[in-house]
Amino acid sequence: MENNSDSVLEMYLYETNTLLEQLDNIMLSAEQADTLSEDDVNEIFRIMHTLKGSAAMMEFEPLMTIAHRIEDLFYLIRENTMEVVPEQDRPQLFDLLFKSIDYFRNEVSKIENGEPLSNNIDNFLNAINMFINKINGETAEAQGQAQTQPAQAASAVKTSGADANHRYSLRVFLDAGCGMENLRAFMAVNDVKDQCIHEFTYEPEGLETDSSLSESISENGFVMHFSSDDDRKQAIQVVGGLGFVKTYQEIDEEPPQEAAAQAEAVSEPSKVAESTEKEPAPAVKRKVESAETTKTDASGTQNPAHHQIKQSLISVNLSKLDQLMAVVGEIVITEAMVTASPDLKGMDAAKLDNFNKSARQLRKLTDELQDISMSLRMVPVSGTFQKMRRIVRDMGQKLGRRANLTIIGEDTEIDKTIVDAISDPIMHIVRNSMDHGIEPDEETRIAAGKNPEGEIILSAQNTGSEVIIRIEDDGAGVDSDAVLRKAIKQGLASPDVDYSQREILNFLMMPGFSTNTEVTEFSGRGVGMDVVKKNIESVAGTVLMTSEFGKGTCTTLKIPLTTAIMDGMEVAVGDSIFTIPLQTIRQSFNASESDIIHDAMQGEMIGKMDNFYPVVRLHELYGLEPRARKTDDGIFVWVETSESSYCLFVDELLGEQQVVIKPLPTYLNSFGIKEAGIVGCTILGDGNISLILDVASLLTSNAGFAGY
Amino acid sequence: MSDENMLFATEDEQMAALNKKELNEVVTKKYLTFQTDNLMFGIEAESVIEIITNYPITKIPMVPDYVRGIINLRGQTIPLIDMRLRLSLMSIDTDCIIVLNVNDMQIGILVDTVNQIIDIPVETILPMPAHNAQKYVSGMCAMPDGSGTMLVLDCPLLLQS
Repeated sequence: MENNSDSVLEMYLYETNTLLEQLDNIMLSAEQADTLSEDDVNEIFRIMHTLKGSAAMMEFEPLMTIAHRIEDLFYLIRENTMEVVPEQDRPQLFDLLFKSIDYFRNEVSKIENGEPLSNNIDNFLNAINMFINKINGETAEAQGQAQTQPAQAASAVKTSGADANHRYSLRVFLDAGCGMENLRAFMAVNDVKDQCIHEFTYEPEGLETDSSLSESISENGFVMHFSSDDDRKQAIQVVGGLGFVKTYQEIDEEPPQEAAAQAEAVSEPSKVAESTEKEPAPAVKRKVESAETTKTDASGTQNPAHHQIKQSLISVNLSKLDQLMAVVGEIVITEAMVTASPDLKGMDAAKLDNFNKSARQLRKLTDELQDISMSLRMVPVSGTFQKMRRIVRDMGQKLGRRANLTIIGEDTEIDKTIVDAISDPIMHIVRNSMDHGIEPDEETRIAAGKNPEGEIILSAQNTGSEVIIRIEDDGAGVDSDAVLRKAIKQGLASPDVDYSQREILNFLMMPGFSTNTEVTEFSGRGVGMDVVKKNIESVAGTVLMTSEFGKGTCTTLKIPLTTAIMDGMEVAVGDSIFTIPLQTIRQSFNASESDIIHDAMQGEMIGKMDNFYPVVRLHELYGLEPRARKTDDGIFVWVETSESSYCLFVDELLGEQQVVIKPLPTYLNSFGIKEAGIVGCTILGDGNISLILDVASLLTSNAGFAGY
Repeated sequence: MSDENMLFATEDEQMAALNKKELNEVVTKKYLTFQTDNLMFGIEAESVIEIITNYPITKIPMVPDYVRGIINLRGQTIPLIDMRLRLSLMSIDTDCIIVLNVNDMQIGILVDTVNQIIDIPVETILPMPAHNAQKYVSGMCAMPDGSGTMLVLDCPLLLQS
């Protein structure tokens, strides 16, 4: 076990983080409802129990202690239902839990970073204890009853697992406080299994999966039943050699008790095993479990489902997925090379029937392979979005504002690297919305004719070519005059220039710019929007802010999908071949010289559908020698992105093709080729290279040239 | 024929150099020599990946003229620098490409002809005379066979714009 302690630690961190996330979600919805449902209480109890158990196994003492106390707290609540916490104390309970989540998160991140855990948990522990006492004071009576009942129940029951064939039993007690008792017991059972030839039974059942058994095992040990005394002796040798076994005890079984007593005991689904000194009742325990399952349907069905999910997931190193993508990319190219091989050209089409059939089949399979391998890297944004709920809640409380966070499209799946890159920016923007956006007091909002509760909408959308994340609030909006004044004061803007609304909003994204005069806990240091911009640009995305003073602000993040494979239109200009992403093409059409309208700046425009669009002649832009110099000879491709729409003039269309995007050699980046509108290249079926155009930046580079 | 003679001569020279090395334990380095215009350059053989000919070049817009474009080398795209244009000489029609690995970056250089791989004692490589500094050259040495002077190409310098 020690050999792979790293992977054990990894498992622990993974499990703990997953549980904390679960807990966070439960708490957030519970706070909205202002109560905890029975399912929630059970779930929290279960989570705390697991946290405690695994922390104990990893010997993280403080974590274990805290989890243990919270488990106690929820034990009380579970026993006496949510009624035990009076209405006015509930916020305190929620706060306490949120604090504990934060505490765990903090400690876990310390473990991740290899820092020592803080042992200073007394204050926190006291807070929990006080709360427990508070509840206890009110339920002392009820508590008394609850304690006696299981005790009675347990006394009525003796161990029942031994049947006629397995009369020789062995009860094993584990070292106190060794943690993860159920697993240790399971290990012991397995060791015995390895040694003994004859079959034997043990109880309680489900040792390896049911960590809730740990407690009963730590107090009452666990029992193995053997068919012969010899087997038992052998087992004693094995068990005696295990480090974590404290003592063991040989028992010769009496005939099992009648079931009636058990049934009675089951009537109260409480932790029977809590009652010590009595004979343990694993069988009862099991029944209790099942009683619980039927009683709380939801949590009962959830648990097995949960296990299944865990088993059907594996974590894979991202670099392996990258490798896979690269190979799939090569396959797509090779497939095109084979099916479009020049050797086939001279052949009789009738003779190629079988070949074509197989080629189509191959195409279908490679498409499928490609889809699957791409979907491997996709994860839903829901995780990132859900975290925002917590931020909105915490900030709302601290700032005394109420805001509702609406999440739209959280199932949108995005490449893992993008999800990682946008998580911080989204957090910054949501914070900004809470801090600067939503008005500080409700009166102002009501006076402005708004709902007293602020509204923040977080939405994600996948348009096929890009992911659009939008963070909208109905707050005060940005005072563009104030921003401009500040920008001028900081020397970022010139007082003589007339700035458009959009340009003014762009000042917000410059490093060091903040309109807040005071630095608060959340914002005002002027880092934020520029970090947002930098992070988004690192994944080739853009940030767009729109705001109406008094109405609200909307920040849009647009991130191109880094799908390594895309559909493109191949166009030719002179000897060069370019690929235009198919999603950006609206139309291609022929036009004659008379359709072109010239403006004073020597620019050209063309009318299309009651609107005029600029014309960009690719050969002029890139200084190529075209085959079609005259407007009549070439063809226009009308392209459109979210920001711009214009017509590209090229020699001819070569056809649609699926292409694999390859980055340009890094050496070329030093020449600013990306700004010139070339984002990458692709290798065509015949081995030639085609350059992939970035429709959005092509026009801006063109605008730069027009300025000369 | 004269080529063949030279080749043999060089072999002899190399043998001689080898013998000398055994005697004096002279530290040598392998250099690949190539011709651009009337200059002979040498590159450390370690940084040479391969020599290829006859690859179609894809032009890249918006780059200096000495960047001739990119080539597709078995699925990898490699930028290509024309040595003649880099040295501000007239370009000629040639298709001889040396693929180099410079700072973990693959790059091709277009040269007139590739000559040979030769062992050069490190100590015979002399720094360039300061007043006579050639571009992109870090040193020079006389060829052991007396066939001329080899200029040692400084690849990282070549890539700087």
